Amino acid sequence: MLDTMLGNYFPILLFILVGLLVGTLCLVAGWLLAPNKPDAEKLSTYECGFGAFEDARMKFDVRYYLIAILFILFDLEIAFLFPWAVALKEVGLFGFVAMLVFLGLLVVGFIYEWAKGALEWD
Amino acid sequence: MIFQDFVFYSLASVVIISALGVITLRNPVYSVLLLVLAFVTSSGLWLLLEAEFLAIALVVVYVGAVMVLFLFVVMMLDINLDQMREGFWKWFPFGAILAFIMTVEMSMVLMSKQFSSEIIQTPEYKSVDYSNTKELGRLIYTEYVYVFELAAVILLVAMVAAIAITLRHRTDKKSSNASRQIAVSRNERLKVISMPAEKKE
Repeated sequence: MLDTMLGNYFPILLFILVGLLVGTLCLVAGWLLAPNKPDAEKLSTYECGFGAFEDARMKFDVRYYLIAILFILFDLEIAFLFPWAVALKEVGLFGFVAMLVFLGLLVVGFIYEWAKGALEWD
Repeated sequence: MIFQDFVFYSLASVVIISALGVITLRNPVYSVLLLVLAFVTSSGLWLLLEAEFLAIALVVVYVGAVMVLFLFVVMMLDINLDQMREGFWKWFPFGAILAFIMTVEMSMVLMSKQFSSEIIQTPEYKSVDYSNTKELGRLIYTEYVYVFELAAVILLVAMVAAIAITLRHRTDKKSSNASRQIAVSRNERLKVISMPAEKKE
């Protein structure tokens, strides 16, 4: 089994299992061993010593959303670069130019957002 | 391949349980986190299908970026759960009909001849030097190059649209402009006047 492509990923599966095990063990040990004497004051919410001003679920500014969506778009662009880099010798000049056109289109978008000031946090 | 079957069934059951949690939990933030778990586990399933690049792309793009967006949207919406549950039974027939139509359509596609086990043979297990990423690269940048460039245009449109919809410049900000501060000349700030000295009395 270890001589197949999938077999190469077996150590990663082991890592995931060991990671899960260690994480669960720590939580369970803390839950079992730590003293647990809750009272009303310990369980109440507080903000740096005084009562909470408002609910933690307040509305976020829409600018966080803009940053996230711009990040996704360039993340996707990067995802396209990986198979291109691996297969560059086989796709040759044609594939190289195809990627340059792809990147050129996205650079247009990048210049647009820079010029509009979407990258500035004001 | 008994071991692979075992991995498949454990991953698949995690996917199903977390997906059920996504639609049944009351706290939308928990739902989003369970959706992250579903995506990570699905990437394990894709890895079992020997689609290694897609498995990593699922983690990088969906878990890393799309779920952040989902969290922001959930936190931006300021959801009042009691209000949302009010019209449940009123809208239930509508939702049930939609779900039924979707299930029928999906089963029509998945139970068609193209997906039957006679046409799709069990794939051979690939050897160590097989690279799924290379295969994808060979196809995307030659055979599907038109679709690939279309993807760039779609990304560009999404960028422009996101900026057009959400970009708001604040007018009440109080910040200093460093380049204007440096470019200032002496005459704008300081005025030297000559006047006779006052006599001491």
